Amino acid sequence: MSLSRRDLLVGSAAGVAGTSVSTPFFLPKYHVDRRPRRSRVAILHAEQYSQKLDEVLAAGLLLFPIDIHDKRVVLKPNLVDYAPGNAINTHPLLILAAAESFRRMGAKSVIVAEGPGHQRDTHFVLSESGYEQFLRIENIRFVDLNRDELILTPMRASYTGINHLWLPRTVLEADFLVSMPKIKTHHWSGVTLSMKNMFGIVPGSRYGWPKNILHWKGIQESILDICATVPIHFVIADGIVAMEGNGPLNGTPRPLGKIVLADDPVAADATCARLMGLESNRIIHIRHGSKFLGNVYPGLIDLVAEPVDPPLTPFQTVPEFQHLRTY
Amino acid sequence: MTTDTILCSYLIAELALRQLPCGGWAALASSSQPAVEPTCYSALALGPAAPTSHTERASEFLLRIQNPNGSWPAFAGDDQEGAWVTALALTTLCHLRDAITARLKGLNWLINFVGRESDWLWKWKFRTTDCHVRFDPDKFGWPWFSGTVSWVVPTAFALLAFKRLPYSSSGFEQAPFRIERGIEMLLDRACPGGGWNAGNGVVYGEPVAPHPDDTAIALLALTDHPEEAAVQSGVQYLEYAVPNLMAPWSLAWAILALAAYGQATESLQRRLASIPDLQAIEDTSTLALSLLALDHERALLDLGVTT
Repeated sequence: MSLSRRDLLVGSAAGVAGTSVSTPFFLPKYHVDRRPRRSRVAILHAEQYSQKLDEVLAAGLLLFPIDIHDKRVVLKPNLVDYAPGNAINTHPLLILAAAESFRRMGAKSVIVAEGPGHQRDTHFVLSESGYEQFLRIENIRFVDLNRDELILTPMRASYTGINHLWLPRTVLEADFLVSMPKIKTHHWSGVTLSMKNMFGIVPGSRYGWPKNILHWKGIQESILDICATVPIHFVIADGIVAMEGNGPLNGTPRPLGKIVLADDPVAADATCARLMGLESNRIIHIRHGSKFLGNVYPGLIDLVAEPVDPPLTPFQTVPEFQHLRTY
Repeated sequence: MTTDTILCSYLIAELALRQLPCGGWAALASSSQPAVEPTCYSALALGPAAPTSHTERASEFLLRIQNPNGSWPAFAGDDQEGAWVTALALTTLCHLRDAITARLKGLNWLINFVGRESDWLWKWKFRTTDCHVRFDPDKFGWPWFSGTVSWVVPTAFALLAFKRLPYSSSGFEQAPFRIERGIEMLLDRACPGGGWNAGNGVVYGEPVAPHPDDTAIALLALTDHPEEAAVQSGVQYLEYAVPNLMAPWSLAWAILALAAYGQATESLQRRLASIPDLQAIEDTSTLALSLLALDHERALLDLGVTT
């Protein structure tokens, strides 16, 4: 349950754009400018979930000059709930492929960490969605972020007015945080991609299931505050089978056949939106994220693999987000 | 000794081992940050089975970290505005003679801890402009934390706490009203096909799937209302879901709920006991819940469930 999108949009337009952007005498709502000079995005083709993902991903990662030698890598999937046959969660084979690649690249440790937002029984989500078996076989540690040790963390942006959040130690101590979203539409935020995926680091044990306080403070605003506070170092987005319509839970699976890699979450999400046939600048958290978190303008994004090939039919959305569709 | 007895003794030993020097338990075995929810389940699970020093230390810990406003925080060191676990702490401390003052303060806080939709402005908003989640804002219960709306699990635990604690003395006149609204809220938030999730039964006109654990916890709070259609369909959902349930947390809650409604649970208890390395599960609340489910008669009494 949350404020309606109209409220969010109006609230965001008035509260975010109106104050921090349009009205020059107000101070910016962000305390850091993390935008790279240029961003790099790789769109990789992958028709299905298979063991070959390992090769596809390993080849894709070679396109990025990243050094994770001796670093603690945390993979943050989108693991919300389980419904048979639905494309709710990041596929476990993609997580395994990422873990394997980062291990080969010399990571000190690779942990998978998530705090499901709808389901209190994290073990249930892990086992039903196939994660538990794969993680056990590959000896990959999982940390339940809903119940991890918490550290009081001052926010590094003030879109919500929240001064601080209690955030999980595992995420805060990561040297290299990889957001691994499922490419989906979302009935409250328009889309859920690498930035919205960060809601999963907010612990349910402190903020409830769902993380309702973030809805009350404004979903778009919360996304910006969280991403300003906990930097995403890399993105691996699962768009092999994406979701359209009434996401994040009740949407329709939509085969897209793509994996998106990026060294900038805003560039990643803008590119994913374009692949969905959505106008990235109309998505509030992407538009405002481009002012301090990353690049949205195509001229600042180096596409190092496939070009953006928008679909013939844009992704379906709930009525409030029809305006995101480009045609 | 039966397999279950041996397993229980392992679980008891493991829980005792995980108790932190401060008397509380952390949510995860790898953590040293004591939290209220795992502490309450662990204290209830150990109960008379462990040396009294364990439960005494747990009670002392809970009393020590009670907030000045009477509530309990989610974990030691948390902000002091209070959390849903206050209901669970009150249930855990309900027998303790030394905790009378703490309980009265806690109960007073709980009565005034209310979902945001109880306010007329938000009621109006949810009726007029924000109607995508189907619910009746007149029927409100308890939130997880202040400043948000009511949800199923905190409301169910608050109702269970009121079953364990006397509230007839002066100062608690609002309690019957809150209890009545809370029961109405649970019935209102049921999923259309039976059962409960966090509290969103229908979103954008589409039903959202129920969860076994949320359903079980709601059913435990509603044992005095077996005639309600939502309760009956909730039990049916749980009976339907439980044959495939292998996650110990959900299975343990399902055992407790089905036992409360007079269903046979022996085969489910055997399944729970047969889960490999149950005592090695990192989540301490799950460990404690498993122990409670294997001894469900005592557990239901301790949780305030009337059968």
